Amino acid sequence: MPDLDRMVGGLRCRDVLELLPEFVDGGLSMEVLGRVTEHLNGCDTCEKFGGEYGELVAFLRAGHNRAPVTSDVRTRLADRMARFWTGENTKAP
Amino acid sequence: MDRHADSVHRLLLSLGAAPDDAEDALQECFISAWRSAGAFQGGESARAWLFTIARNTLRRQHRRRVGEPAEMESLEVLGAQAGWGSRSDFTQRLAATAEVEWALAQIPAEERRAVVLRDLEGLSSAEAAETLELSLGALKSRLHRGRLHLMAVLRTEESDA
Repeated sequence: MPDLDRMVGGLRCRDVLELLPEFVDGGLSMEVLGRVTEHLNGCDTCEKFGGEYGELVAFLRAGHNRAPVTSDVRTRLADRMARFWTGENTKAP
Repeated sequence: MDRHADSVHRLLLSLGAAPDDAEDALQECFISAWRSAGAFQGGESARAWLFTIARNTLRRQHRRRVGEPAEMESLEVLGAQAGWGSRSDFTQRLAATAEVEWALAQIPAEERRAVVLRDLEGLSSAEAAETLELSLGALKSRLHRGRLHLMAVLRTEESDA
């Protein structure tokens, strides 16, 4: 188990691990942000891991995993909505 | 409809619906949305509103409640699994989209839902929490743990490669 009790910049590594989501999402106060930044600048392990965590979030948010529905599904959805709008039976065939 | 069908369909799949069930729920969702359009508060996100309808639709039709894991790893253990303290570089795994998709399917369902809504679909934390009927704190916890689990799965795949 890695040592998460190393203190840098007034924060332990375990504190930084807990604060990573807010760090990535910009939810930290200026004071805490400064302490986390100081920790990351002085702790290679957290800097590397935090960087990877941030890269993962950026990758997910870049839309690489956004598979669209197939054209068949889209067509059947449009058909069913059309039947709904015209008052026909709206049960799926 | 065209604008949000992809997102709603992805949400339904991420909620555990089989492809056929997801398609059926997609249709029911848009019909329900049309019927209740008058209740939509214009100030809120239309997509978040649709997500809530989709989730309720799936619950009515096929929802299987997935319980909390009997025992949750500590953040310390999860961090180590995710690679805290590791010298290896897992960044290249991110280049393979299919592997990330596969890895996403391996993490606990309740965490995957948080990751899908917040990171893939871009809802705010508050919107994602409302959609999943969670407190903001619970949403953030699941999101963080889901990301760490995702890193752990990708790193395991990396070491197996």
